[in-house]
Amino acid sequence: MGILETTAARVLSAYSVFLFLTILAQAAARRFSTNVLLFSLQSAIIAIQVAVIGYHEKLMEAYVVAALIVLLKVVGIPYAFFRLIEKLKSPREVISATSAAESAFVAVGMIWLSYGAVRSYAGGVHAPEDGLAAAVALILTGAFLMISRRKALVQMIGLLVLENGIFLAALTTTFGMPLIIEIGIFFDVLIGLLLMGLFVFRIRDTFDHLDVSKMRKLRG
Amino acid sequence: MTIALGVLQVVLLVIGAPLLRGIVGRLKAVLQRRRGAPIWRPYADIWKLLHKEDLVPPSASGVFGLAPLLLLVTSILATAFVPLLTNSALLGSAGDFILMVYLLAFGRFFLALGGIDGGSAFGGMGASREALVSSLAEAPLLLGLVAVAIQASSASIVGMTQWALERNFFNISAVHLLAFLALGIVALAETGRMPVDNPATHLELTMIHEGMVLEYSGPNLALIEWASAIKLGFMVGLLIALFAPWGMATTLSPAALGLAVVAMLAKMFALAAALAVIESGIAKLRMYAVPDFLGVAAAFGTLAVIFTALMKR
Amino acid sequence: MGLNSQPSLGTSDRSLFDPRFRKAGRLIAGLVAVATLGACGAGGRSLLNSEVRKLNPSLLAPFPFTFSLDRLGFFFLILICAVSLPVALFSVSYVRRHYSAARQKWLWALLFLFVASMAGVVAASSGFAFLVSWEIMSLASAGLILIEGSSGDRRHNLFIYLLMTHAGTAAVIAAFLVFLPHSHSLDFAAIRAAGATLPPGVRMALFLLAFAGFGTKAGIIPLHLWLPRAHPIAPSPASALMSGVMLKIAVYGFVRFAFDFLGGGPAWFGYLVLVAGAASGLLGVLYAIAEHDLKRLLAYHSVENIGIIYLGLGASLIFMAHNARVWAALALAGALLHTLNHALFKSLLFLGAGAISDSTHTVDLEKLGGLQRRMPVTGAVFLIGCCSIIGLPLFNGFISEWMIFRSFLGGSTLLNTNAQTLLPLMAGVLALIGGLAAACFVKVFGVAFLGRPRSQEAEHASEAPLSMRAGMLLLAAACVAIGIWPGGFLRPIVSLAQSLVGAPAAPPETLLIASVIPWVAAAFLALLAVVSVLKRAKRQTPTWACGLPGLTSRMQYTSTAFSKPIRFVFGRVYKADRKREVLPADQPYFPGSISYHSVRTTSYERLLYRPFVEGVVAAANQLRRLQTGNIQVYLLYIVVTLVSLLLYLRFAG
Repeated sequence: MGILETTAARVLSAYSVFLFLTILAQAAARRFSTNVLLFSLQSAIIAIQVAVIGYHEKLMEAYVVAALIVLLKVVGIPYAFFRLIEKLKSPREVISATSAAESAFVAVGMIWLSYGAVRSYAGGVHAPEDGLAAAVALILTGAFLMISRRKALVQMIGLLVLENGIFLAALTTTFGMPLIIEIGIFFDVLIGLLLMGLFVFRIRDTFDHLDVSKMRKLRG
Repeated sequence: MTIALGVLQVVLLVIGAPLLRGIVGRLKAVLQRRRGAPIWRPYADIWKLLHKEDLVPPSASGVFGLAPLLLLVTSILATAFVPLLTNSALLGSAGDFILMVYLLAFGRFFLALGGIDGGSAFGGMGASREALVSSLAEAPLLLGLVAVAIQASSASIVGMTQWALERNFFNISAVHLLAFLALGIVALAETGRMPVDNPATHLELTMIHEGMVLEYSGPNLALIEWASAIKLGFMVGLLIALFAPWGMATTLSPAALGLAVVAMLAKMFALAAALAVIESGIAKLRMYAVPDFLGVAAAFGTLAVIFTALMKR
Repeated sequence: MGLNSQPSLGTSDRSLFDPRFRKAGRLIAGLVAVATLGACGAGGRSLLNSEVRKLNPSLLAPFPFTFSLDRLGFFFLILICAVSLPVALFSVSYVRRHYSAARQKWLWALLFLFVASMAGVVAASSGFAFLVSWEIMSLASAGLILIEGSSGDRRHNLFIYLLMTHAGTAAVIAAFLVFLPHSHSLDFAAIRAAGATLPPGVRMALFLLAFAGFGTKAGIIPLHLWLPRAHPIAPSPASALMSGVMLKIAVYGFVRFAFDFLGGGPAWFGYLVLVAGAASGLLGVLYAIAEHDLKRLLAYHSVENIGIIYLGLGASLIFMAHNARVWAALALAGALLHTLNHALFKSLLFLGAGAISDSTHTVDLEKLGGLQRRMPVTGAVFLIGCCSIIGLPLFNGFISEWMIFRSFLGGSTLLNTNAQTLLPLMAGVLALIGGLAAACFVKVFGVAFLGRPRSQEAEHASEAPLSMRAGMLLLAAACVAIGIWPGGFLRPIVSLAQSLVGAPAAPPETLLIASVIPWVAAAFLALLAVVSVLKRAKRQTPTWACGLPGLTSRMQYTSTAFSKPIRFVFGRVYKADRKREVLPADQPYFPGSISYHSVRTTSYERLLYRPFVEGVVAAANQLRRLQTGNIQVYLLYIVVTLVSLLLYLRFAG
């Protein structure tokens, strides 16, 4: 019991560091499959976090949520992405507006910014500052991925990372949302992804590529 | 007594460095399912080279012969700052990590000059690339060391090792994790290993270190090879001392020292295995992807420094 | 300026005139040397005992033209003497070989005036003396540039130099004038007393004026435009003095204003200086890497080193604002030591460039090569200069950079989060600057001195004459001496910094470095002796070089090729205009000739200066409307002024 307690306490205080590492790695990654794997790792860390909170607060439904996260975000969605990559046969590298080093520095700046923004807020809400800062950083990273990368697939990953961030923010401030709301959000994201997947195929069939920077006919 | 121990540590690292190189080579061969050279090969190489003639290109000046000497001397001096068996170093003092980094820069400066002195195109090419890589590797190296120094509230390597010694593995801080990643990448760049440079190549498209030493032969080349082995040992020793120093002898009893030797050998072997895996698993980066790689290391180092302030409250 | 028209007496070099002039010249030179050595000795003792010496109270009675030397002044006086003596020694043969007898007299006179005016600036104890000496210094340096020649391009560069230096002087004069209503006199003691009780708005204005004024003269980005234009076109001894000493006089002015008069300020003062220092350091070294004219390259390196000095000064101001006076003393001592070090090794490098141009008549790196075998002593001292400027251990540059690094590390002990993160991050910036500087000097020394000569002149280069070698050897010896035994030099500088900053105790780090470095040097030499045993007799023979027969000098790396990777990585800093012309134009696949022209424009010139200049010109055009040429309008102006004065008296009195 003692080991479990201490590990649980350690995990609670340390998991945000691993999330920051995945944020940096995602910003610097140059292959799409690396991005997917890192997203899966992020979701795994969040699932572990949910499970530990369930252990601490003695909430049964937290374990269910954790299982759901593992099923959907750690296994399901990445698997679907890998199938998508195979079917699309598009080039594997991620074309980005900023180089790997520049993206890494932007990620560092965002992490610094999220700590600065969260500091005044976290004290009032009694939330662990690291967790909240990690959540805000995830949101910013998701947005950054969507803005700076030129392929539609990476933008999907960006949206997923952003959703991870929102979920984590809710988790740290309320120590677990009611299960029903969590499932609702899950399904929203899932439908969104399905639609995006369909559109990606349509885009590829119409334009023969997935380069977003070339799809600018929408000007007025 | 501590002076004797310090000298012993330096001598051990200097004499044992080629063995570490041989072990890494052997592990790579095992991973690549080759037979590979025996682990004592680097010693045989150095012995052979020391007994050969010293050939000097016609355009070379005094710097050509001076460079290997200075490279070897500065590499040996740099090892005098790293604690190996006990938490003491021969030349350790507050602020010594800056001196250590710049001593390595001293050696690299003269090696680059020696490469140009050969008068061929390859020396200049190796020196030019080395200038690019080393100028960009200094910032993450110092940022990582500064972050660890701030976290440990001490400006000497011995002090940083002491901080890590007093904590156990699960207590290691975020700053150390980020600094380890930054220093790991820089170690690959400084020692000229994959994916930054291929230590076994002689193709002009891929040479950095090998390009600079192309014109060297005989005892000069022996000194340079020995110096690069010492640098590998130094980097491995530094990483172990800063991030995983447990097992170091805290008393001077023979049992403690024996345990320290065993622990150090085990940890070095582990890092050598990790290096072999990385070298066999990752392809060499093309030349202009290396600055990106080092830039990511600098980002890790910057975040480590930022965390020292954020984690303090 | 009319320096081209010599008086008829001077154009003769008849033997009747020469021996007497030469003897008199030697006598004067000897007296000056003795005087400077005496001043150094007195200054050294003064620094340790913190005496204040008053010289010549009030030369000209109606003007407050006073000189007195306090410890800061003595430190800079020692700096001036320590550099001027070797430069003068160098100039003895350099000037004789390069200029006609008439020009030589003018050159010596201007050199003496230059050094004397700089000594006047540091010795001044009233604003008037300061400004007069300052102006003489600028004009003397302009005169030295003119002596070298006045073709069209040089005149344009000289004009820019004079323009910017006078803009800076105007800011300094404005700063003194802003002090006037509070101190009621331009005497430094009165100004110091007034500086303690200034309202914050005035303090801010003063700091910004001093920063801009002295920054223009020191050459921080973005006010450095004149530096790479003016330093290369001056004669080599003058370049050495300008880069080595004149820039330091600007640093002296800034230290005097910010630390002595204002006594520090809010933290943002320090952050401004820190950022300016970081930008100067980085951009200076990046621009230097792209140069292949040796003197321009060294001029950009001066910008970089001034940036490093400003990094130390900024850190010191930040520490003072947070009341960490011991750390402030360490940072300030590092900055002051770096001014001394830079004066020494930069003049050494410029003198080396002078020796190279004396022997090969060019300073273009693309035409040099293989000089080490032909000029061994010059090469050896130039190498010592390179090692010092990079900051390698056992040379003087390392000590000051170490102190600045250490003070950045100390920033983590402050309680303010901004300082806690920013100061250690500056250590990373300083490391990047150092790394790039090392890369640049590998290029400089390697391309100029090593390998094969790239031109006929380089092939027939010969060693520099004795006095030139002696001058450079003195400076090199000083660099190595400070690098190996820093203790003696550190103690007075640290106590000077302590007194300027108001620290209660000396920072202990300086003692540590002073005690460790000699041991490291001893270990270094011992190991060198041990390892040399392994060497064998060498045999010269063509080496493999990948099997290429008949290596020529064209197969070596050129300076431009060497710096290409770094220029590529930092491409955003350089904006090159490239023109490629293939003739004949209608046969692209069978060219008769291909010409490639690449001009690097520094992008800030376009972004920063052009709008500013256009704004000034537009405002001037508007003002021109006042000059209608109609005499009645001018009379109207006079009447309007009178009427408004009367109205003011009526309603405000």
